[in-house]
Amino acid sequence: MRGITLRFAAIVVLLLLVTGGNSYAAAYKYRFVMVSHIGSNDPNMKWLTLSMAEFEKRYPDVKTEYVSTNEYSLQKFVELLRQAIATKPNGIAVPIVSSDALAPVLKGAIAQGIPVVAFNIPDPRPQGKRIPYLTYVGGDEYLAGLRLGQHALELAKAGKIPNPQRVLCAIHDAAHQGLKLRCKGMADAMKTINAQVDNLFITADPARARSIMQSYLTKNKSVNYIFAVASWSSPWAYGVAKELGRNPGVGASNGTIVITVDESPVALEGIKQGKVLETHSQGFWLQGYAPMEILYWYNNLGLWPQADFLTGPVIIDSTNVGRWVPFVRNVFGTEYDKQVTW
Amino acid sequence: MRAPAVGIQHVTRPLTRFRKRPDAAIVLGTILVFLVFGAVDPESWFQFFTMINITRYAAILGLLAIGQTIVILSREIDLSVGSVYGIVAIAFIASEPTLGVPLSLLAALMLAAAIGLLNALLVLRGGISSMIATLGALFFYRGIIYVTTGGTVMRFSQGARAHWLTQAFGGQWLRLDNAFLWFMLIAVLASLVLYHSRFGNHLLAVGGDETTALARGVTVVRTKTIAFVACSLLAGLSGIVTIAQNPQTHVTLGMQLELESIAAAVIGGTQLGGGRGTVLGSVLGTFFLTAVRSEMITLGAPPSWYTAFVGIALLLGATINTVMARRSGA
Repeated sequence: MRGITLRFAAIVVLLLLVTGGNSYAAAYKYRFVMVSHIGSNDPNMKWLTLSMAEFEKRYPDVKTEYVSTNEYSLQKFVELLRQAIATKPNGIAVPIVSSDALAPVLKGAIAQGIPVVAFNIPDPRPQGKRIPYLTYVGGDEYLAGLRLGQHALELAKAGKIPNPQRVLCAIHDAAHQGLKLRCKGMADAMKTINAQVDNLFITADPARARSIMQSYLTKNKSVNYIFAVASWSSPWAYGVAKELGRNPGVGASNGTIVITVDESPVALEGIKQGKVLETHSQGFWLQGYAPMEILYWYNNLGLWPQADFLTGPVIIDSTNVGRWVPFVRNVFGTEYDKQVTW
Repeated sequence: MRAPAVGIQHVTRPLTRFRKRPDAAIVLGTILVFLVFGAVDPESWFQFFTMINITRYAAILGLLAIGQTIVILSREIDLSVGSVYGIVAIAFIASEPTLGVPLSLLAALMLAAAIGLLNALLVLRGGISSMIATLGALFFYRGIIYVTTGGTVMRFSQGARAHWLTQAFGGQWLRLDNAFLWFMLIAVLASLVLYHSRFGNHLLAVGGDETTALARGVTVVRTKTIAFVACSLLAGLSGIVTIAQNPQTHVTLGMQLELESIAAAVIGGTQLGGGRGTVLGSVLGTFFLTAVRSEMITLGAPPSWYTAFVGIALLLGATINTVMARRSGA
């Protein structure tokens, strides 16, 4: 009797899946999946999900899905990507968090006929050697670090802030090649004045990150610039510098300059309050919308972009932060003020 | 010939007693580490900020390690403490605008106690191994943090930061962090409870041999339940202390602290088999780990090496503690 009940239940589940799948297929012509490392633990996720919702409004025959990991784990990310590929979508958008780890998985998907667009993090290898995705949509992590560094040097040259002597690049995720590229860009900018840039893995836990930065800064007294490669870690960097009596802030007389990334409320308000020198935008909204558009055009019309689509960097400092605040407030709504943890 | 023998006995007895202590290795290890670092890098090591940095992080990790020690002594384990630390701290911030500092602190601690109680129920009534039940809790509460916050922790208002109760946990007294003073106070209290109270006797008896403890009238379920609740409460308190000190936080709050707290307890001489360990050992285990990381960074080693070091220290600590326990017949 138990066996019959179980078999009946299995048939019902199977029927539900089949009919559900059919009605799903009938409702949408295409299904695109964005597999992301920007999870619900990252406020930037909102840019991507909102822009994908806008895309769906414009193309009602497309269903978009956003799946992400919350852990800084490459293994879990690859697992999630494999699961997404197994559902046989009409296109995938994915950040190349690790070329070596993702190459076999994505090459397999492409061989199955699933078009892939890289977003947010590209495969840094040259054309021909990189993963054969359609195109890359996103900022250039290296350029972000480089331009932020160059802009800081311009301001230092003009006497508005102190000259960099030594720079700390604080990284919270040791496996994220994009973050390392940001630091490399900063290092290359600083090379022009022979200022050393040290990469420091601070971990993602706030208390531990502060402790690590404090240990480092206590020893390395010549460090007068901190580049926090996640905007949420910039208040930690500022706090540690302040506690150590390094006089952080934005001015010629300030001892430590804090630089960060992304157009998040905490970065923008940090600039407004004179605690952060500059941040950048990598066009997050476009990074959600454009990959979907490209996948749609590829599926529908065979479009294959002949070059990457760079959505940044745009440097934001005290001179243009006023223009960015209303734009970001429009996306975050009432959440904007809550996210300012300064 | 007798007199010298008695004299030697006077010297050897305390030494033998010391060697039998579960925390003997970490006492020596911590002294050694402090001496070596003081000799190798006196300029940085004896700086005020170095000591403040070590005591500050040790207070946060140490509160978790004391809780972990209590649970491990009862022959269980609590892997959920990292997420409990995070969710309680975030609950404190999130409820403050509505409840005010005193009530939100109370509510957050009640949440911690409730989580501990639920862990105990799952293990003791549900029959699930504590490793599995608390691992599930670790993921569940982290997920709840992500879902409820949407990726960003709310700001802790300036008024709340300046509140006397927040300052009582996050402020300073005589240039020492109040968090550290709380940690020391709780360490002393926990030691007294463990070794000079009925509950402490019961806990060690349950961890040593549950069947015998049961036969002698010890209420195993009640003892272990108190252990789980105390562990969660201390994790929650650690989270609150962190926020009171530095309210600029993130949803990653407490990630992987559970493993560090277990490492501190084990390096401190607490045996995972239960019934053997001391609060002093775990406190020193915390100092040992924190001091080594701080000095490794100061000496220029990449912080990622610290992870490998914890693994080696854990293996070495566990081996030395086991060998010493066998030799001393403890």
